[in-house]
Amino acid sequence: MSDQVKKETNKLTDKEVRRSWITWLFNNQANYNYERMMGTGFMHSMVPIAKKLYKDDVEKQKEMLKRHAGFFNCEPCLGSSITGLTVAMEEQKAAGGDIDGEAITSIKTGLMGPISGIGDSVIQGVIVPLLLAFAIDMASTGNMAAPIIYALIMIAVVFGISYSLFMMGYKKGSDAILKLLENGIINKIISGANIMGCMVLGALVANYVSMSCGIQISQSVESVFNVQEQLFDAIIPKLLPLLMTLSCYQMLKKGLSSVKVLLVIVAVGIIGGMTGILG
Amino acid sequence: MSVLQGMLLGILYYLGNSSIVAGPIGYYTIYRPLIGGFLTGLILGDPVTGLIVGATINLMYIGFISAGGALPGDMCLAGILGSALAITGGLDTEAALAIAVPIGLIGTLLWFGRLTLDSFFAHLADKFVEDGKPEKVWIADVLLPQLMLFFMTAIPCFLAAYFGASYIEGAINALGGTVLGVMIIIGGMMPALGIGLTLIYIFKGEARVFFFMGFLLAVYFGLSMIAIGFLALCCAIVYTQLKNVRGGEVNV
Repeated sequence: MSDQVKKETNKLTDKEVRRSWITWLFNNQANYNYERMMGTGFMHSMVPIAKKLYKDDVEKQKEMLKRHAGFFNCEPCLGSSITGLTVAMEEQKAAGGDIDGEAITSIKTGLMGPISGIGDSVIQGVIVPLLLAFAIDMASTGNMAAPIIYALIMIAVVFGISYSLFMMGYKKGSDAILKLLENGIINKIISGANIMGCMVLGALVANYVSMSCGIQISQSVESVFNVQEQLFDAIIPKLLPLLMTLSCYQMLKKGLSSVKVLLVIVAVGIIGGMTGILG
Repeated sequence: MSVLQGMLLGILYYLGNSSIVAGPIGYYTIYRPLIGGFLTGLILGDPVTGLIVGATINLMYIGFISAGGALPGDMCLAGILGSALAITGGLDTEAALAIAVPIGLIGTLLWFGRLTLDSFFAHLADKFVEDGKPEKVWIADVLLPQLMLFFMTAIPCFLAAYFGASYIEGAINALGGTVLGVMIIIGGMMPALGIGLTLIYIFKGEARVFFFMGFLLAVYFGLSMIAIGFLALCCAIVYTQLKNVRGGEVNV
């Protein structure tokens, strides 16, 4: 064991820091619960750190781990920067730096909200929907490369973001994280990504929402006016799907829950399907 | 469907929910119907159908944000059972989607149950720390909650897939043509909700017009998603550059 070699110094080595990251990456939601959300996972990722920093002092280990047993909830990829930062603060505290336990807890919980906000909107709000839009489009023709490419890109994205931000939090501290959050570049990327996302979603509406009018008006014995083909298709072919999507958006924006909107769709489908208005 | 195939689907559902597939990696891959449907298809010997149905189901959950108020649904269960039923029952993709989404709603019960019961293990972890045995924390954080999750997810999914598959074809035939036709209409409209949920996050301010631009490009020019994606990237870059030149917000 290399632990015995370095017995005199309790400084962290790459080994514990990486172990802490891996523990966080894998287990942040292993015991996801309403009481503390990712709290147990966070404490778990501090175990290798506590055991190294306070190797011969069980009481100090307890004190440190209890500090991290409380509520914690954050977007896990960007949130790994907080875990890394906490490792650095604990190391500083163990070395006798003037940082107390409460300060560690308050910095940790203070960063939770803003980092989740950015993490959720960038990863779950932009990266994943965009990649999925392309992958779904490829997959809808039965192209088996689509799920594989999507999965490989996601693996690279998650590992890359999680590892580099953990190390940034550990090595550069909270100032670096705050600077990254306040940096105009992130806002520029988000606004650019919104534009890209909007365009791709517009195309998705055209390609994947299907809704057509089944009304046929007989003009004379031989000729029938087909509303879908002769009215909608002649002007804007996918007008109904577009209106449906915008209505869903409006209902959601007015505060209707998604389950209620779903029920509206079911009702429209039943009425429209039975009467033949939709077809 | 054989018992073994049903059991494999149960395990697949567990893996989609589990943290053992590198935490968020599992959540972003196996949990998605695109991947889950494909793997379901592999298990059932029809990966192409599984992939196509899974991809369509995934449209409903394209903007799924676990933290926000997105569609409360278990897309993993919806993807696995939806594509399994489509393969075994010979359902149309839209009809499978109309069945999968309610399944997803039922699946959220498992999520609530899991998050409630997991609180118990948090206290067990406290106890290990209190006893000075931090090396045992993993038992409370990983081993026991994951074992519990395995039984909570794999068994219901196995039962639903195995027994659902034997009845689905008969049930669909009994329902008759009109019901199936209505289900196809409903399933066709459902992606509008999935896209609407994503729009909540990005359909803002100046970006709005680009939504219509993407729509028109697809409708009138029939461009593929990839082509529109690259065009969208260029549009975003040009727009950001122009905005910088003018040096300020252009609020519409």
